Amino acid sequence: MACILVIDDSAFARRMTSKALKAQGNEVLEAESGHHGVELAEKHEPDGIVLDLLMPEMDGLEVLNILKDKGLDIPVIVLSADIQESTQTECMEHGAAAFLKKPVQENELIEVIQGVLCSK
Amino acid sequence: MKCAADKIEVLKEMINIGVGRVADLLNTMLCSHIRLEVPSLKILSSDELETELCKCGNERLSCINLPFKGDVIGVAELVFPAESASKFVIALTGEEADTIDMDSIRAGTLSEVGNIVLNAVMGTISNLLGFKLRYSVPSYTEGNFNSLLPVHPIVPDTRVVVVQTHFVVEKLEVEGSIILFFEMGSFDKLLEKLETSYEGKKR
Repeated sequence: MACILVIDDSAFARRMTSKALKAQGNEVLEAESGHHGVELAEKHEPDGIVLDLLMPEMDGLEVLNILKDKGLDIPVIVLSADIQESTQTECMEHGAAAFLKKPVQENELIEVIQGVLCSK
Repeated sequence: MKCAADKIEVLKEMINIGVGRVADLLNTMLCSHIRLEVPSLKILSSDELETELCKCGNERLSCINLPFKGDVIGVAELVFPAESASKFVIALTGEEADTIDMDSIRAGTLSEVGNIVLNAVMGTISNLLGFKLRYSVPSYTEGNFNSLLPVHPIVPDTRVVVVQTHFVVEKLEVEGSIILFFEMGSFDKLLEKLETSYEGKKR
């Protein structure tokens, strides 16, 4: 069982992602903003993070940068509706471990998370 | 490809591809066949835009706005009649209308659906043309046709390009529209990029 932090400003998206993760026996932490996500990441040091990109105040790219600056070596899977190839490249350049497009199939999400956690 | 009409046809085809992706996403989310209509494209003044939107009458509408900037500037909107929006939310959340606080759940759920749907259309165009868009956080509004007007005011005397397409979720009897507003200067840029990209691919 892994501890996964889900950072997404959409309650609906958090609910769907958390449901899929919990069904696999994972412990899930939820943050509704980038600021709250960084706080929880520092406090709990989860095994992995599922991160939305487009959020008010602090977006996903800023979260990736802050995690790196703070030396938190936690694999981050970006889960975004933004399907632009340039966005995917930007996220990987900022240190994301994987990029998934919304809406994601439950099995795809689990497969990617397991792959990322195994290669940690 | 010198003629503007040709470029507009190619743009409409790109939007069709984007809307096709939307149909695929909605099909996955709602397990229902999605019927699509061919998109229409109109170049309008702000007055004409208001007249055009007035055609919706006083029907109550739910609207999700996704402003974008970068290589082109505009607003993408997903619009449902209010009744369709409720059916949509119930189908996605699995909750009954009388057991949940529809107002709060409805806004959150529809904003996320709008985010996914509108990104699919704009992202497809962006990927095909090789440019970069930056999005603002989507916002949700309810009301009559006035709520369809882009959030930021349209400067008088400017022209906007309105691309509209209609879809029907057959199993739920839900319908909706996707409307793209481009600022005129941005639209010219889009057509230029379209020509460069098209000519590049032909070589």
